[in-house]
Amino acid sequence: MTSIGTGYDLANSIFSPDGRNFQVEYAMKAVENGSTSIGIRCKDGIVLAAEKVITSKLLKQGANKRIATVDRHLGIVYSGMIPDGRHFVDRARDEARGWRDNYKTPISTKDLAGRMGGYMQAYTLYQSVRPFGITAIIGGYDSELDTPVEGEVGSGPSVGAGGKVEGKKHGGPFLYMVEPSGLYWGYYGAATGKGRQAAKAELEKLDLSSDGESSLTLEQAVKEAARIIYVAHDDNKDKEFELEMTWISGADGPTKGRHQEVPEALRKEAEKYAERMTAKDIEEEEETKEGGDKMEE
Amino acid sequence: MFRNNYDNDSVTFSPQGRIFQVEYAAEAVKQGSVVVGIASKTHAVLVAIKRNAEELSSYQKKLFPIDEHVGIAIAGLTSDARVLSNFMKQQSLGHRLTYGRNMPVRTLVDMIGSKAQINTQHYGKRPYGVGLLVAGVDDHGPHLFEFQPSGMTEEMVAFAIGARSQMARTYLEKNLEAFADCGREELIRHGLKALKESLVQDRELTIDNTSVAIVGVEKQEDGTTKPQPFMVYDGQDVSAWIESVADNQEAAPAAAEGEGMDVDS
Repeated sequence: MTSIGTGYDLANSIFSPDGRNFQVEYAMKAVENGSTSIGIRCKDGIVLAAEKVITSKLLKQGANKRIATVDRHLGIVYSGMIPDGRHFVDRARDEARGWRDNYKTPISTKDLAGRMGGYMQAYTLYQSVRPFGITAIIGGYDSELDTPVEGEVGSGPSVGAGGKVEGKKHGGPFLYMVEPSGLYWGYYGAATGKGRQAAKAELEKLDLSSDGESSLTLEQAVKEAARIIYVAHDDNKDKEFELEMTWISGADGPTKGRHQEVPEALRKEAEKYAERMTAKDIEEEEETKEGGDKMEE
Repeated sequence: MFRNNYDNDSVTFSPQGRIFQVEYAAEAVKQGSVVVGIASKTHAVLVAIKRNAEELSSYQKKLFPIDEHVGIAIAGLTSDARVLSNFMKQQSLGHRLTYGRNMPVRTLVDMIGSKAQINTQHYGKRPYGVGLLVAGVDDHGPHLFEFQPSGMTEEMVAFAIGARSQMARTYLEKNLEAFADCGREELIRHGLKALKESLVQDRELTIDNTSVAIVGVEKQEDGTTKPQPFMVYDGQDVSAWIESVADNQEAAPAAAEGEGMDVDS
C-alpha cells in the first residue's frame, strides 16, 4: 500500500516534502476498488467494455448503463466513483457541444482527451475541491472523410475533420485514458479498475499495434473484450456481473462512425466465447497443477 | 487517541480512497422511517411509514408528488428532501413548458444525481442527508429509481430504504418474479407486506401512519392505454388496503380486489 502521508495528506493540492500529492494518490485508490473497464483500439474501430457487478438482485437488469455517448462518434467508460464519472461525462458532452458551436465540426478524440485531462487536473490544484475518484477511458472514431462543415464559407477549413491536407492520413480510431491527476496517454489497449492487472496482461497478448494480417478486426476485438472482462472478474470475491459493451467503426463499418451499444446477438456470441475460453483456461490450469503434483511424488 | 482525520469534510479522501462524509450522509438515510417502492409493467407504487414526534403531533409526510407523472418517497432529512423536491418540480415544469410533454423519469433522476454529486466534491458544501425512491411513468412505461446522498442513482424493480429496510428488501427479493405482472391492487399489497416486515415489534400499520402512492398506465377497454397520474393516499383512503394485508386476512385477499378507496368502512 502507498505510504501514509503524515500530515501532508489532509488536504488537496498540498505537496509533501518529497513532491507528492497524497490526495490524488488516494483518489486513485478509489479507482482501484471500482469495477473493471477496458478499451481496445484495433485497426478498424474501438470497443469499450465494462464489468458491472450486480450489488443487488433488485436492480433492473440492463437498465443502468455505465458507458456513455458523448458525441455521435465518442464514448466514455469509467471506473471508480460512479457519480464522479457521470459529472465527468456531463462535462465531456459540454466540451463536445461547445467545440461544435465554435468550430462547426465534431471534436477529435485527441482534443476531447486534452480538454478532459485539463478539467481533471484543475481538480488537483485547489484545496476547495477534491480530485475525481475515477479513471476514464475515452474512445472515438474521427472521420476520415472530407465532410462539409456546417455553415462553411468558401472551401471550408484546410485541416481538421472538415478539411484535408493532401497526402496526409486523417481520422481513424483513437483511445485515451485519463487518470485522477489529469495525466492522459493514448493507448492501443487500456484497462482500469479492480481487474486492471489481469486485463492488461491479456491486452498485451493481442496484436493491436500492427496493420498486418494477424492484427485484430473489430468483431474479434468485441469477443476479446468480452473475454478479458470475464478473465478480470474475480468470481471468489464478487457476485454476479453484467457485461456492457459499445463499439465505434469507421463510416464504412457496422456502426457507420457512430458510438453504439454492441448488438445483442453479437454480445451474446461474445459472451459464449468468453465463457468457453475462461472455462478452458481453468481446465488447463488444473491439469498443470495435477502434473506438478505427480512430479513431486 | 484514535481520531479519524479524514472525516471532517467531503473534499478529503481517506488513504483507502473513501470519503467518510458521504458515507455518514448515507447513515442519515437509515435514520429515516422506511419507504418501499415497486414497479410492474403497468404501475409503480410507493408506500411509506410516517412517524410522529409525539402522541399528539401530526405525522411527517413521506410521499410527495413532483409532477403529474412522477412522485418521490423520502427517508432521511426531510428539509433536504424538500430542496430536492422543489428542484425536481421546477425542472419538470420547465421541461413541460419548453417541450410540451412530460420529462422522462431517468432525465429527472440524473439531474438530482448531478446536483448531489457537486455537494460531494466542493469544500463548504455537505452531501444531502436524504435518500429517495422516485416513481414515475414515461413513454417507456413505469420506472422506479433509487437516489443516494452520494449522487448515485440506479433503476430498480423494487427497493426499500430507511430504518430496518433490509427486512423489506428481503421480502422484495423473495417475491421479485411476481411483480412484473402485478395489477395496481396487488402491487400495493406487496408494498404493504414488505413495509410490515420492517416494522418494530408490536407496531402495526394504521391509517394514521401509512401512506400509499400510485402512478401508472391503465389499459382501457378499447385497448388503448391511459396514464394514471401520481396520486397519494392517506388516512381513511388506505384503510381497505391495510385490512387486506392484516395477518388474519391473509387467507382471503379477494375481498379487497375492487377499488380500495370506494370501500365505506
